Amino acid sequence: MDRVIEIHNLSKRYGPKLAVDDISFTVQPGLVTGFLGPNGAGKSTTMRMIVGLDRPTTGSAVVNGKQYADHRDPLHQVGALLEAKAVHTGRSAYNHLLALAATHSIPTSRVHEVIDMTGLDKVAGKRVGGFSLGMGQRLGIAAALLGDPQTLILDEPVNGLDPDGVLWVRQLTRYLASQGRTIFLSSHLMSEMALTADHVIILGRGRVLADAPISELTGRAGTGRVTVRTPSPAELTQAIAGPDVTVTEQPDGTLSVAGLGAQQVGEAAFRAGIALYELTPVKASLEQAYLALTQDEVEFRSEVAA
Amino acid sequence: MTATPAVAPRPAVGGSLSASGIVRSEWIKLRTVRSTLWCYGLLIVLVVGVGTLIASLANFADGDFGSRSAPLANGAAITGDAAGSIVVGLNTAGLNIAVLIVAVLGSLIITGEYSTGMIRSTFTAAPRRTGALTAKGIVLAATAFAATTVGIWLSALVTWPILSAKGVEVQLGDPAVFLPLLGGALYITMIALLAFGFGVILRSTAGSLATVLGLMLVAPIVLELLHALTNAAWVSHVSELLPQNAGSHLFDYRGASAFGGSDPGSWITTGWQGFAVLLAWNVTVLAVALIRVKRRDA
Repeated sequence: MDRVIEIHNLSKRYGPKLAVDDISFTVQPGLVTGFLGPNGAGKSTTMRMIVGLDRPTTGSAVVNGKQYADHRDPLHQVGALLEAKAVHTGRSAYNHLLALAATHSIPTSRVHEVIDMTGLDKVAGKRVGGFSLGMGQRLGIAAALLGDPQTLILDEPVNGLDPDGVLWVRQLTRYLASQGRTIFLSSHLMSEMALTADHVIILGRGRVLADAPISELTGRAGTGRVTVRTPSPAELTQAIAGPDVTVTEQPDGTLSVAGLGAQQVGEAAFRAGIALYELTPVKASLEQAYLALTQDEVEFRSEVAA
Repeated sequence: MTATPAVAPRPAVGGSLSASGIVRSEWIKLRTVRSTLWCYGLLIVLVVGVGTLIASLANFADGDFGSRSAPLANGAAITGDAAGSIVVGLNTAGLNIAVLIVAVLGSLIITGEYSTGMIRSTFTAAPRRTGALTAKGIVLAATAFAATTVGIWLSALVTWPILSAKGVEVQLGDPAVFLPLLGGALYITMIALLAFGFGVILRSTAGSLATVLGLMLVAPIVLELLHALTNAAWVSHVSELLPQNAGSHLFDYRGASAFGGSDPGSWITTGWQGFAVLLAWNVTVLAVALIRVKRRDA
């Protein structure tokens, strides 16, 4: 049970700016853990500290029981995509992977394997300088997979990918997690996380705002509204009327009820003999939950002029 | 999606991070960037070209090039020290320009990684960093030495018949001749490593090229001007300690450059002294480079 990422009281200061502020969390194996936060929240810095590219100001990051640099076979422990195009632009994708593979005596056959896996076979011989953002991203993922690592750390992996690529990353990360590996991926796209991650850690201004399973997070930020579809909206509105109840008719003909639960609406309809075609409690989307949490933590807010 | 085993299989690919693996990786990196290969090609062409040009054009009998003897009677053979000085001098003449190529090469090999972001891949694969930099230094030194050696000896072979035809006796087996030829390759290697060290410290291509080329091209001129103005002995001593000036003694023939003898009262007169000064430069700069790279964020 040591295939985890453990972050202990990690901080990183750049000059006067505290980019990461005393955060602690654990990323578990067998799950896809999402790392969410607005731009500048400290996600990338945290990930860079995990693989030792940035030195923590205080605290430590431990992967699979040791600090990254203390592993004898770092590329087999952790595969990391930290930013697209951490690649010499004058070298071909194939040679780039070959050079990385050589450090751990990874055979050439594995290089061909990851090239096939990431769909780079047609461009592998070309110089990386001419790659699109999407191809650079695939190459970064190929490099991360090279050592068949226990732990995968991906910073904004779907950035620049086409819809096919996004789907592929989602399936790949889910598959690798199902093999018991630890998958830690960051994104600022909530919708993507909702589809991919089992668990999310939300970061805002260098601090952990939430660390919970997706279902719990969206449940916690429930809207308290119920959507009702009925052939007799006027009667229903009357049947459930009360001091705290507001009913609004939606453009699609459904009613949106606030102030009553689904159960109470259903019982009231039953007593009044009104047929219901649909009765749905409205859950908050991950996006709403996220926005509620990060409302005060966004560093670069776009002000709308009045 | 296929079967979902509960435990990840132990990776079946490759082994641990190893010193030989990192060196192999750096060798692959070096030979797979076109601009780097061009530098080596240019270096060889330059050394052979300059040597051949001098051999073909100079009139050695008139004391044209490096021969310290008085003009000889027409048709007389040039032998001994006069011949040795010519052979060493013209086969290493190209090094004075080649040194600029390796200064650029030594910087680029590392600043190119910083400017493209490759350094993060490098340090992720070899996170202790010292290993990656040492391997890069080893590969740079080995290739710079090999390319210069090839250039010098190719030049020696090409110019041999030309010199013989002009009555210059070529004795490549004489230690006084082949040691400076070896020293020339050592000089180029050490300048390449020095430039590499500056590249590691400064990270930017522009910054490290300005520093290295400034040290090699501008500093000597400034000091020479200063010397002309003040005529102070310390200025010429400082000038002697510049990497290029000190290092160039490594390919002197019997303690004198083909381009003119050294001043009496010079601090550095032998190849060994020049080597020691250049070594001090390298040790200092590379030590600072290693310390800094361990401490800072990549």
